[in-house]
Amino acid sequence: MLDAFLALAEWQNLLFLAVGTGLGIVVGAIPGLTASMLIALTLPLTFHMDPVSAVTLLIGEYVGGISGGLITAILLRMPGTPASIVTTFDGYPMAQNGFAERALALGIMASVVGGIISWGFLAGMSPALARFALQFGPWEYFTLVLMALVMLAVLSQGSMVKGLMAAALGMAFALPGIDSSIGQARLTFGSSAMLSGFGLLPVLIGAFAISQILRDAATPQESGRMDMPKSKLPIYRSDLGYAPKLLRGSVIGTWIGLLPGIGANIAALVSYSTEKQLSKEPEKFGTGHEPGVVAAESANNASIGGALIPLITMGIPGSVTEAILIGALTIHNLQPGPLLFQNAPEIAYGIIAAYLVANVLMLMLMWGAVRYIARIVQLPRSGLMAVILVFCVTGSYAVNSSFSDVWVMIGFGLVGLGLEYCRVPLGPFVIGFVLSPIAEEQLRASLMMSDGNLAEILTRPYALLFLALALITVIWPYIAARLGARARAKQAEEPS
Amino acid sequence: MLNTRKFIAILGLGVAALALPVGPIGAGAAQAQDFPAKPLEVIVPFKPGGRTDVVARLIGDKIQEKGLLSQPMAVVNADGGAGANAVNRMRRGDDDGHTIVHWHHQALIAMAMGLGDFGLEDFKSIGYTGGGSPVWVVSEDSEFDTLEDLIAHLKENPRSLIEAVGIGTIPHFVGAMLANEAGFETRYVTANSGADRLRLVLGGNADIALFAASEYLAQGEGLKALVYFGRERLPDMPDVPTATELGYDVSWANPNWWLAPASTPDAHVAELASALEAAINDPEIVEYFRNNTLEPYWTPGDAAMADAEKQLEALKAVAATIN
Repeated sequence: MLDAFLALAEWQNLLFLAVGTGLGIVVGAIPGLTASMLIALTLPLTFHMDPVSAVTLLIGEYVGGISGGLITAILLRMPGTPASIVTTFDGYPMAQNGFAERALALGIMASVVGGIISWGFLAGMSPALARFALQFGPWEYFTLVLMALVMLAVLSQGSMVKGLMAAALGMAFALPGIDSSIGQARLTFGSSAMLSGFGLLPVLIGAFAISQILRDAATPQESGRMDMPKSKLPIYRSDLGYAPKLLRGSVIGTWIGLLPGIGANIAALVSYSTEKQLSKEPEKFGTGHEPGVVAAESANNASIGGALIPLITMGIPGSVTEAILIGALTIHNLQPGPLLFQNAPEIAYGIIAAYLVANVLMLMLMWGAVRYIARIVQLPRSGLMAVILVFCVTGSYAVNSSFSDVWVMIGFGLVGLGLEYCRVPLGPFVIGFVLSPIAEEQLRASLMMSDGNLAEILTRPYALLFLALALITVIWPYIAARLGARARAKQAEEPS
Repeated sequence: MLNTRKFIAILGLGVAALALPVGPIGAGAAQAQDFPAKPLEVIVPFKPGGRTDVVARLIGDKIQEKGLLSQPMAVVNADGGAGANAVNRMRRGDDDGHTIVHWHHQALIAMAMGLGDFGLEDFKSIGYTGGGSPVWVVSEDSEFDTLEDLIAHLKENPRSLIEAVGIGTIPHFVGAMLANEAGFETRYVTANSGADRLRLVLGGNADIALFAASEYLAQGEGLKALVYFGRERLPDMPDVPTATELGYDVSWANPNWWLAPASTPDAHVAELASALEAAINDPEIVEYFRNNTLEPYWTPGDAAMADAEKQLEALKAVAATIN
């Protein structure tokens, strides 16, 4: 392990890591471009590098890419990556209320703390955690995602009915494509472009970025809505009080990241709604409440450390980005898996060391650059939106090199605009879209496994635990109201 | 970055210029020809980093390094829709050999399942540059040590074991071919990637799964291979019998298949084929293949197409039994 850190101290490895992190932040911040795109683009470059440098470059891009998303999520309500959808809930209202730098500062601090805590799990107890995560089969995946879906109802700001409608609509849009449980086309209307369904990226940037651009185009220029960023980033000693929230967010993030295929966006969602449920003032969430940003950002960064655990111990990639990372290793004749620690310890420990250093570099880069980045809100909106539109179109096209994805993006821009017009929240819409395919596939896989016997869930303790948590999530507000009423009644009786 | 294809091509060129000594251009170089007249686009119907992608990039680099074609090859990933995205992209591109596809027999499965609106008649086969075969694997602590034990158990207790497959993908079809041949039945659980199959078998949530031989060997522990679907035993795992040896007429060699649009001129296909053949015989490529349980060989376009037609018939028969 020490050797791995020493290897990182070599200037070229450190340079690659810094370049990777920096590029990742920029790409992560731009709506339409994502970390996995950046990694795919730089993959051919790594063929000719030595394996340690290749790994440091790619890990830097991965960490930077997830972290950079918070910038545009907070400033423009355009999540640069799917991982930062939840950050928009409180980050953007904070920016609108004139606390843009404060939201950015909190987001960055929470990201770094999340990264470092999950690094602790990665470095300290990888094998045990990986074995634990492997026990999770289709039943556990299904109930976990179900729990996250139920939490959506709690998250919905304002009308719960509208939130649920948005989630249901998002789920409906996830239906077309190849039904993976029977391998047949579903709701494609005979179009081969529809065979792959609606892509996540076109839907995400359509609903958030394109609809925002359209709305801006329709409204007269407002300027001076946000104050000029101050020269200092506001962090106070009292922020130490966020320690329990940071710890909770990081543990939730690491733990959800552990499960391959369940990503940073679910981690952020679960952490956010847990915080909201535990909070004494849940009504403040969604209006620019600081703990909302802390919960979302600590969890989405921590999920990377979690996802690296099955990758390096078992060779199981947790996300598309990690699958590409494996590709980069196989080019160098290295296969991630249990043998990696024996065959190429410098790579296995190199990944672990690079992850920690990338988080530190991310802090330095973002902290240094953030007050300049924050000025983008001062730029003329018309010019800024035009540039973002170019990136959105390019990014949508580049995912599958397919122009139909661009039409999908524009279509969802209109859908997003319509939803906002009816005051239906976009967050639940996109998250419903992301979660329902996983829930469907896992439920049907469970039923295939058990030959259609739903009762088998009774033999799976973790699945039952998630179901119970989901149930509590639904009924807790009513219980809390009851308890509150009883307490008040008692108080009313006592003074006599 | 406005045009990914160009960007990748420029990146590729830059890398080649930086990293490779500018050697003398081989005698067989196609300098005098008017084909290729511009960089070639190789469409890979999968995400970057998988085997098909890696092999396309390696062979593309080799062709460029040795000057086997006068223009570089740029790999473009068009994932999704059971290959339909890649085929659509091919149709929009040139049909004179500047746009080609690197795929494998997943294409035939999509055709057999009737997914997408493409068939063998849409393509001209350039050839196979080698390929690899998969293994059927159980968990290390499984009670079954041989395929015979497993089949006997399944015949006695039909549907008592769970097989992790992606419905309509190679693991599904290869498993079904063996099941039809040997007369047994398993229960399926959906697992759409190698990572999912690995996770399910290692965690005890599935009993059986199919892996590329290289995936199995890299795992090293936790898994036990029962049968190899290649035509001959693999030197890296001398103790794993082939299905044919055990008396089941099932084999699956998944080739790296290079395809061009059906209307590509034959002369251009021949030009591409000779470059690919030279690349696959290059010692460095041969070594990479051997290290990764792939067999390096060259099958010319016509022979490859004949093999694919035969395979497609077999797959259609299997598809009829599972739908």
